[in-house]
Amino acid sequence: MAMKERSSVRVPRVIVGVFFGLAALFPLAWMALSGFKLNSDVLATPFSFFPPSWHVENYVQILVDPDFSRAMMITFAGAAIFTIFSIAINSMAAYVFARLDFSFKRTLWVIVIGTMFIPNMAILLTSFIVVTKLHMLDTMLVLILPPLASAAQVFFIRQFYLNIPIALEEAALLDGAGRWRIFTRIFLPLSQPAFVVVGVTSFMAYWNSYVWPIMTITSPNLYVVGQYLANFRVSRGPELGLLMAGSMLAALPVIILVLIFQRKIIGNIKIAGLK
Amino acid sequence: MLQGILISAAAPLGASLLTACGSGTPGQPAGGGNSSGRKVINFWSQQFEDWQSAWEKKHVAAFNASQSKYKVELSIVPADAWAQKLKAAQAAGNGPDVYTISYGNIGSAVSTGSLVPLNGLIKSQYLDDIDPSIAKFVSAKSTPSSSLKQYAYPWLVEPSTVMFYRKDLFQAAGLDPDKPPTRWDQLPDIAAKLKKGSVYGLGTASVAADLSWSSWGLQQNAAEHYPVKTDWSSADPTITPYAKLAEFYSSLYNSGGMPKQALSAYADGTPLGQGKLAMQITGSWFIGLLRQQFPKLESKIAAAPMVSIDGDQTRPTATLGGWTLAIDAKSKTQDGAADFITYLLASGQSVMMDYFKASGWSKYAARTSIVKAIDADSAAQADPFRKIITDKIVKYGVPEATYPIDLSTDFATAIEKSMKGTSANQALATAKQQMNQYITSNKLAGTNTQASVQSGS
Amino acid sequence: MTGAVTGSTGRGMTELPRQAGVASAVPARRGSRKIAGRRRHRDNLIAYLMLAPVVILLIIFVIIPLISAGYLSFFNWSFYRASEYVGFRNFVNVLQSPDFLASIGRGLLFATMVVPTVMILAFLFANIARGLGGRIAGFVKTSIYIPTIISGVIVAIVFTIIYDYSGGVLNWFLGLFGIQPIAWLADPSIALPALAVPEVWMMFGLTALIMLAGVLDIPDSYYEAAALDGAGWFKQMTYITIPSLKNVILYLLIANFTASLQEINLPLLMTQGGPLNATLLPNLYLFNHFTQDTYQGQPIAGALLLFIVLGAISASIFAVLNSEKAVDG
Repeated sequence: MAMKERSSVRVPRVIVGVFFGLAALFPLAWMALSGFKLNSDVLATPFSFFPPSWHVENYVQILVDPDFSRAMMITFAGAAIFTIFSIAINSMAAYVFARLDFSFKRTLWVIVIGTMFIPNMAILLTSFIVVTKLHMLDTMLVLILPPLASAAQVFFIRQFYLNIPIALEEAALLDGAGRWRIFTRIFLPLSQPAFVVVGVTSFMAYWNSYVWPIMTITSPNLYVVGQYLANFRVSRGPELGLLMAGSMLAALPVIILVLIFQRKIIGNIKIAGLK
Repeated sequence: MLQGILISAAAPLGASLLTACGSGTPGQPAGGGNSSGRKVINFWSQQFEDWQSAWEKKHVAAFNASQSKYKVELSIVPADAWAQKLKAAQAAGNGPDVYTISYGNIGSAVSTGSLVPLNGLIKSQYLDDIDPSIAKFVSAKSTPSSSLKQYAYPWLVEPSTVMFYRKDLFQAAGLDPDKPPTRWDQLPDIAAKLKKGSVYGLGTASVAADLSWSSWGLQQNAAEHYPVKTDWSSADPTITPYAKLAEFYSSLYNSGGMPKQALSAYADGTPLGQGKLAMQITGSWFIGLLRQQFPKLESKIAAAPMVSIDGDQTRPTATLGGWTLAIDAKSKTQDGAADFITYLLASGQSVMMDYFKASGWSKYAARTSIVKAIDADSAAQADPFRKIITDKIVKYGVPEATYPIDLSTDFATAIEKSMKGTSANQALATAKQQMNQYITSNKLAGTNTQASVQSGS
Repeated sequence: MTGAVTGSTGRGMTELPRQAGVASAVPARRGSRKIAGRRRHRDNLIAYLMLAPVVILLIIFVIIPLISAGYLSFFNWSFYRASEYVGFRNFVNVLQSPDFLASIGRGLLFATMVVPTVMILAFLFANIARGLGGRIAGFVKTSIYIPTIISGVIVAIVFTIIYDYSGGVLNWFLGLFGIQPIAWLADPSIALPALAVPEVWMMFGLTALIMLAGVLDIPDSYYEAAALDGAGWFKQMTYITIPSLKNVILYLLIANFTASLQEINLPLLMTQGGPLNATLLPNLYLFNHFTQDTYQGQPIAGALLLFIVLGAISASIFAVLNSEKAVDG
């Protein structure tokens, strides 16, 4: 990686690299910038790139808007619960498939992995029917339970667990420790890198969800953030400055999450297996 | 049966997982619940402007205070969640007793048996007070052989097509602000003349979703009927008047005066308010937006009826949309619901006058007595828009199309195609095929519960 | 590993299993096979207990809906009305339906616009960024990754204002060069490419980082040897870089192809499938029919057909990659 390069090659690389970075950030920067504009200035003609007058109060106003803050909080709460339980049950399943031997293991594995290839749209309507019959509509449960079990996460964590040296458990097994204790005492503490990735992914999936919530959640006080923003666009369309500010704030939690864990996530894009 | 097994197999498995950790819909008691001795009436209103919600809350409270038999509980439901929420609640048995329903939806609600006729529940003197032409909007026959009954009580009407324009920009372009155009063929040139710099001359619908309902008024203006027969047995959008309509829209779109990408949805008059357009065709509700968001602009804005195909302004140019209150067929407190409707909409004048005043006279009355009262009101008389809209637009207004919106969308797609390059005749021929296919595969013929009160082909 | 990050529906994870699972694959090691048969029974109870939540949830919310969908696709089925058995007619109708076929065609066109663009940009980026170090690399990598994690709703909202006709920054920018305003979202011939831009924007980050990781794995020695033999950068790229990245490229092609084919948030929120169905992509077509039609046997059949095609592509690539890994040990 640390190739020594002549600076005449290095500088253009830096420029191009930074260009990619800035281009990637531009739309978001534009959104944040627009959030500082008066509602009527966001799409005003004649056009002005920068806010003619800076209105921080857009950000404040949308934050104190009870509907917005409720949507943010309830989505955050839901995402947190979802993440925790998702890690819990998927890691248990991953451990079982990685280490345990039991009847029908092969069959169950195939079934679990098989679900990874089912596109959401194929089962959108029928899973809607299922949750309707279970009276889950318009509750937090309908956003949390259906996506909770994830074959992809199980697969990923299992790969991670397969790499944990057997030696670590052999001692414990000889001492008579049960599988569950091995899981909680040995595997879980070692799972942090995998859990970071899976946790962030789960949180993001929940936070960014839209299609399923709009089908299953009709009470405004349960709206997820995406629903709230889409709805705002329709019902309070002209208030563009607020919408931009709100959208920026709604994007922040996941951005912050990624910034915190960036080294773990981005650094871990290992594809050694694909060679 | 197997499907029932497959689906309900999930239920016992799922039931054990259900910990009631959901904050579900705030408990709506099923109709007939009791609240300290009073019978509860669930009133669902779609979400309108803040001032409307405020008016509703105020008078619900007043109704509750005025008697001790019933208690009305108001729920305000956003428009996009409405259909789903209503269906779900009705399926679960805790739907509303009284709810808002637009004129266009009454016919299908009657055909699914969702509404109770008001004729036995509301005093006939109040039903008779409804303006006769608007009374037709709320009348239907539940079966072809039953008698005509009224299924909802009108709350307001608002024309969906009004030409709003900037008097000062007219003047700047050398046009007489007191003589707005009256004929279709005048409008494209005027739109082109009014375009200056970043200000476009004219804004109106240019995508099928908007055109589907906003072109109804012009459809009637051109052909004096809708492209679908009153008995819903067939449709013919290819007749000359509709071809002329498509060409009219096309001439506007290609006049150079219209933005090629709409600056807002049809119903949203913000671009006019922000000075991006010199003219905008939108509904009368724009007046409310104007006063609330762009008060400084009000003195520069004038209203006129939409241009007519031949210049005759007594031809309809606008449909009268609006809202009503209806009683759900499954309600267990129908009498109470009727009392509430009578209080809120049908009897006396003070409650309704309060509403129209709060609207800034931007909504229009459906009851003859209220129309008279507004005419006599000095504040109302002073309003610059009210008279022209009432006398020149509402007077000639026609009902909205009540057949399934897919048919109107097919028609509107043909208009959009014409605007964007396809020949009108070709586009309308495709629409004809699509519309008739829809009618056949959905077996619409003969299912129009309002056939007897609708005129036209 | 960062899979399952682009425009998710509520079931985020299973939406992009390809990226999630495979992108992070570390060589598998199956060590527990040596345990004697008697162990099986001891493990059974604890195994089933720990497996129960996932299996039960998958059965209720994925498998049963799938079987149910398969079943219902043979009926003229409606939520509120009686249904009748119609055999394969739904499948026949759907395969003959010009609207459905047109939406599939559009989906393929959309994927063709998006995927090569993303791949080429990512490849370019990977080759350029491999030489960056430290702070700059960190900034660049994080910046390009952020669009990947932004909700599709927010992307739709911001690009809608960027594409605004009179007040949007894009038309303003073009206006600086004297170009007339373009109706990005209202012109039927421009709308789909206009939607491809935010799609590329969202997809680029993760693809580029995966590609970068792949490029960094290529030993410098290969390049040094090639340089000694007199190979220029083009030959180096063609004979070293690209072949070494073969699996990565293949994987990314498939993952991005299936993801872009299934895009729904952008057309749903930016154009509602218009103008004149120019942006009516397959999933939006199905979604519209699910939420509006009375009889839904046909859209269910359509969704299943789409599933079979996508599933076949994904599963076969997964199998190829997995078997190759096994070969490499």
